[in-house]
Formats: sequence, structure tokens, C-alpha cells
Amino acid sequence: MSASEPMHLSEAELRAMSADLDAMHHDLALPALKSSLTEWAEDIQARGADAPDEDTPAQRAFFARRRFLAVGGGIAGAAVLAACSSSSSTTVTPAASTTSGGATASGAAMSGGEGQQLTGDLRVVAMAASLENSGVATYAAGIKAATAGKLGPVPPAVVTFAQTAMSQHEDHQKAWNAVLTAAGQKPVTAVDPVIQPTINTAFAKVTNVTGLAKLALMVEDIAGQTYQNGLSVIKSTAGIKTAASIQPVEFQHAAILNFLLGNYPVPAAFTGVSMARPVTDYQV
Amino acid sequence: MEFDETALGGLIEESQDTHADALRAAREPLRDMVDLGQQARAGGGLDPEENRAFARANSGRLAGRARRAGRLLAGAGIVTALAEFIGRPAFAASGTDVQVLQTASSIEVLAVSTYKTALGLPYIGGSAANPVIKAFATTTMKQHSEHLAAFQAATTALGGTKQAKPDPAFVPVVDKAVAAITKANAANGALLVVGLALELENIAAETYVNNMSLLSDANAKKLTASVMGVEAQHVAILYAVQALLKAGDGADITLPPPAAKLPAAAGSVGFPNAFYPTSKAAPATQGATS
Repeated sequence: MSASEPMHLSEAELRAMSADLDAMHHDLALPALKSSLTEWAEDIQARGADAPDEDTPAQRAFFARRRFLAVGGGIAGAAVLAACSSSSSTTVTPAASTTSGGATASGAAMSGGEGQQLTGDLRVVAMAASLENSGVATYAAGIKAATAGKLGPVPPAVVTFAQTAMSQHEDHQKAWNAVLTAAGQKPVTAVDPVIQPTINTAFAKVTNVTGLAKLALMVEDIAGQTYQNGLSVIKSTAGIKTAASIQPVEFQHAAILNFLLGNYPVPAAFTGVSMARPVTDYQV
Repeated sequence: MEFDETALGGLIEESQDTHADALRAAREPLRDMVDLGQQARAGGGLDPEENRAFARANSGRLAGRARRAGRLLAGAGIVTALAEFIGRPAFAASGTDVQVLQTASSIEVLAVSTYKTALGLPYIGGSAANPVIKAFATTTMKQHSEHLAAFQAATTALGGTKQAKPDPAFVPVVDKAVAAITKANAANGALLVVGLALELENIAAETYVNNMSLLSDANAKKLTASVMGVEAQHVAILYAVQALLKAGDGADITLPPPAAKLPAAAGSVGFPNAFYPTSKAAPATQGATS
């Protein structure tokens, strides 16, 4: 690049740059992830052969905790979320959502994979999978509503954001479910039964792109903080690697959403865990 | 350019409130580390052989990195309120966690000094700068200062010596980039600054992602986990800014940006990986004090 001439990039070149970054991801990140997942599944199987994968004291504390969603003002459905979280998960109605692009986030019911008697790392994995399903369902419903013209004008960049973020959540869900199936368990295709009704309530009030972005921001913050919290309780090294590779991506989604919403995009020097979901969101 | 400096100031204030909440979350593990360190000291400290073995295991990666890299700006001495929460060294031995934390500190030192240098450029920190870029550089430098203070405090809490020097392997890379930046005009200089910042932020984020499986102390893990997502967020915004600058749309770098005007590809350029890679991660002992 010349130091004296400004460089310009066309839309096509920008697309090519994105494609290069995507190729880099498939060349470098995915093989490393597959290695971690394989290692983790083998570790779980090996431990399962010796003894049941029982919860550690830290995991039991993690499971028992109910972290309430104190989102604060400005986010649609925040108050509902707080109310929902303050109730016992035993009274929560199972989610009624779909990851296959229902018109709203309260479409066909999903219950696959709930109810398995999982403990330890596998329970963390199952909860993570259900949370990713909720993320996918939220974006799918948003894209469908936008396509149907229910959200008014939708900028092309916002469409690309939603499609890419949804695709990445699908990748995360597949990664978690790969661990479950490798360990001889059923994949979790159900949404998070605790958080999903709240998402549905908030989604019902979304009438434009800004509202959808605020809801997506809440979902991304919950996901990032949940993984951050989970990193304290996952025992397997490979499991830690996997969760650590996903947490920053959820926070990247949040940064771009904040940027689009006109919020300062990196609001804190340290990310917190006040919105983290407990592992008990997975119903054993 | 449509921009309301007062509004941005308000947003930064709001973000500082959010930050204060997160800071409280970061202090908790640091306090616990002091307690843990004191208990460990009472129990005789860590095994020196373990530390040597860890350093040996990382030496190959370190050598490779050193060959590709070089030396940069002097380290900045950062003191923040976090340091006040840390007491005297808890135990004398320098464990593997200490080495990892020292390396993290060395990366933060480099990040702080790089942003400081960038802010000295008229088109980044001067009156001619895009106000959003200037605010981002200023706030990001401050956030890295806080990361540095936290990693240093954690190092001290675990009985190690705090690292206040930049990562030696990356210094030449930054030196070379800064030399090119000083020769560039404003348009290209801004692009080069963003490119350098991206490189450092990615190194930081990938190093911390990698460190999560190396650390054994629970509170060191919590601290690192609370920082790595922030570095990844810096990366996301820098990718977006870089794309707009390259497209000649620097005027669209506003808060919020004019979403309707942005090219479709701009929506995803900030987060190219579904899983954060670690190929650029610094070897865990690269920035250790010895």
C-alpha cells in the first residue's frame, strides 16, 4: 500500500475481504475446535467408564445459583426478564420456539434433548446447547419478521449481521451437541426453557429493527456471560477450550449491536456475569 | 459528519457506570486470590520444578514467535484503583499462573503504549480526528490500562513480580509499524494505525482464550475470562472501522453509524470467526519476567 494514496475498497472487495476472513476461520479455527471437541468427548467417555461424571462442589454451587437478569433500563422486556429469573425454574413452562424460522419466536414447540439425567460437564454442555438454540430461534424469527415486512425498512448490513450471527450460533449449537452425541447422549434441540418465554414476550413487542437489535443484544450478553461463568465450572481442559473460543464471539456480536444502536460499543473494561444463566436452565 | 460530542460523552459516562459494575466483578476474584495466596504461602508455596517444566514446554513456541517479532515502545507505568485491592505478595514462588499473568501484563503494556502513541497523531487524537475514532482510542487505552493493573495485581497476589515491560517478541513488530505510520499521510496513517491496533487486540484476545486452559487458579481464570471478551469487542469494532476506512467511507464512522447507507458486507465484517482462534496467541511464558 502506498503511504501517500488513500486506499478505497468497493462493496465487492469488502465482500472478498469478508470471504478471506471466513476462509481463515475455516482453515485455522475449525480444525482446532474439532480437536478440542474430540478430546473432550473422549475425556468424558473415559471418565464415564470409571465413574459417573458427578458434579464438583463448584458445579453444584453453579447449578444451585440463580443469577437474575438485571439488565437495567432501555432494553425491551428487561423487567419481564427480571421477574422471570426471580421465579423458580421448576415452575417455568417449557419453551415453545423453533430454530427453523417460525414467523415468531413462539412457533412450533421444541423439546428435544431435555430430561436426560446429565451431570457435570455434560449438563453444562446441554444448557449451552439450549441457550444457543434460543439464540438461533431469536434471529430466525427476526429475519422472518423482517422478510415479511413487519419491521419496516431493514438495512442490508443489518440483514447480513442477523444471518451471520444466526449461522454462528448454529455452529455453536452443533459443537455442543457433537460433544453430547459423542458421549452417547441425545443432542439438545430444545430452546432454553427458562429464558425462551421471556424472549418470546419481548419479541412480541418488537415492531422495528431497533427493537429487534435490543432484544438480540440482550440474548448475546446473556450468552457471553453464561459462557464466562461456565468457564469456572467446566472440568475438562478441552471443554474449557471450547467455551473459551465461543465466549468472545458472543461479546463481539454484542459490540456490533451496541454500535448499531448508538451505544458505546465496548461499555466496560471487564465483562461481568450478572446476566449469566444457571446450568439448571437445562431440565434434568 | 453528524456527530454530537456531548451525546458521546454521555454514552461514555453510561458505559463507565456499566464498567463500574463489571469492575466490582473483577475485584472479587482478585480479593480471593490474595486470600488463596496467603494460604498457599502458609503451605509452603509452589513447586519450582513445575515452573521450570512449564517454561520448557513453552520455549519452542516462544522461540518461533521471537524469530518473527521484535521490539517497541517503552512500557507505561499504570496505577489504578484496582491495585489498592491487592495486598502484599502472598507467596514467594512464581507459579505457572504467574508466568501466564506476567505475559498478559506485557501484552497490555504494549497495547497501552501503542494507543498512547496513536493518540499523539493529529488524525487520531488531535482536533482533526474523527471524534468517534478518537473516543474509541482514548477509552480503549484506558481499558487496557485497567487490564494491565488487574493482571499485575493478580500476579502480585500470587506471589510473583509484576511485569511492567512490553512483550519483547512483539516490540519490533510495533516499532516497524509505527515507523511506517509516521511517514504516511492522514488517510493511510489512520488505516495503518487501525491495522496495528487490530493486530495487537487479536494477539491479546487469542492469548487470553488460549490461557484459559493453562491457568489453574480459579480467580486468575475468572479475571482472564472477564478481559478476553473485551479485547474481542475491540477487534470487532476495529474490523468495522477498518472496512469503512478502506471503502473511503470514513465519514460514516459515527455513533450510531448510518445503517441504511452501509454496504451489506459491513454487517458481518466485525466477527469473522464462529469460534475464536488461537493461532496468534503469545506463548504463555513469552512475557514472563524471567
